[in-house]
Amino acid sequence: MNRTLGALALLFILGVLLIVANPQYGLKFGLGGSEWQKYRYTDQYYIEHGIEEVGGTNIVTDIVFDYRGYDTLGEATVLFTAIAGAVALLRPWRRDEDEE
Amino acid sequence: MIPFQFVTAFLLICMGIYAFLYKRNLIKLILALDIIDSGIHLLLISLGYRLENGVLPTAPIYTGYETLKGTPMVGPIPQALVLTSIVIGVCVLALAMALTINAYRHYGSLDINKLRRLRG
Amino acid sequence: MKNDMGLIVKTMARATIPLIGIFGAYVVSHGHLTPGGGFQGGATIAGAGILFLVAFGLNEAKKRYDKNIYSALEGLGGLAFLGAAMLGLSVAFFYNILWKDKIAFAGQPGTLLSAGYLPIMNLAVGLKVFTGLVSAMMAIALFRRWKK
Repeated sequence: MNRTLGALALLFILGVLLIVANPQYGLKFGLGGSEWQKYRYTDQYYIEHGIEEVGGTNIVTDIVFDYRGYDTLGEATVLFTAIAGAVALLRPWRRDEDEE
Repeated sequence: MIPFQFVTAFLLICMGIYAFLYKRNLIKLILALDIIDSGIHLLLISLGYRLENGVLPTAPIYTGYETLKGTPMVGPIPQALVLTSIVIGVCVLALAMALTINAYRHYGSLDINKLRRLRG
Repeated sequence: MKNDMGLIVKTMARATIPLIGIFGAYVVSHGHLTPGGGFQGGATIAGAGILFLVAFGLNEAKKRYDKNIYSALEGLGGLAFLGAAMLGLSVAFFYNILWKDKIAFAGQPGTLLSAGYLPIMNLAVGLKVFTGLVSAMMAIALFRRWKK
């Protein structure tokens, strides 16, 4: 009973999301032409001026390490913290001999 | 018609949420988190597509073979942000697995209905 | 009790682990020219390390694993990333001073020695991801605190 109600509620949410993605009055898929210039001018700037300002021909690596390098610094910190926490949780601990 | 990329992404998110609510094994809950992550990444990347009239776009890399100064390219910003999000998903999974191993050692079973005692 | 896989798996692992390592090093170092970069290449080389752990068993892997060196290398990778970002601190924090003033790594765009501090950052992040993932995998495999 609970399980069926949950499945029906999730199907309702899926229907609402599919109505949001309708191409006429919702999310637009595949902009082009003048709409690209109006909504995505930052992408156009990075594609045009990426090589002469940074020097790498891979535009995505350009963005990740030079234009938005601050986010990569935050991500390196999260990686370090998660690995340190996981290794610290799986170490032999001195209280085990008291419990057994 | 709705593009099939959005339909797949929404289906993945809904299936992940259903598995997260109604399953009892701890490992299945962790796998459900990973499925929700995959659905969101697919949704973000497919929003960066670009369709000029008749010309198919290429990847945003100047390889020198077929990309001169005029070919339309796919938007590179969603790809850069999803790269960061994938690494953070892996970190969350590693920490959750370490906690699950410790919980199994203390309680002896992986059923979340039995993990109710908050003891020191 | 031996805990490694059979003879076929061990022979195939001996053949493919160096090839995976070379391919991962190519993906890391050509990050500014072809698809790839630091994070993707680091995960590929960690795949080679995990293949060694799975195919040859825990006893063989414990002989070649030294946790102090791996921990120090992970910290070194993070510090190298931060140091390369601080080189242009006279103008801004993440300023690409090696490319704009043509000090080092300044060739034609499209060759290997170009794009300022991008190759240095790729190597640092690749080292950090590889050592971090192998450390986490060995920590899970060496867990011995099961209650009897």
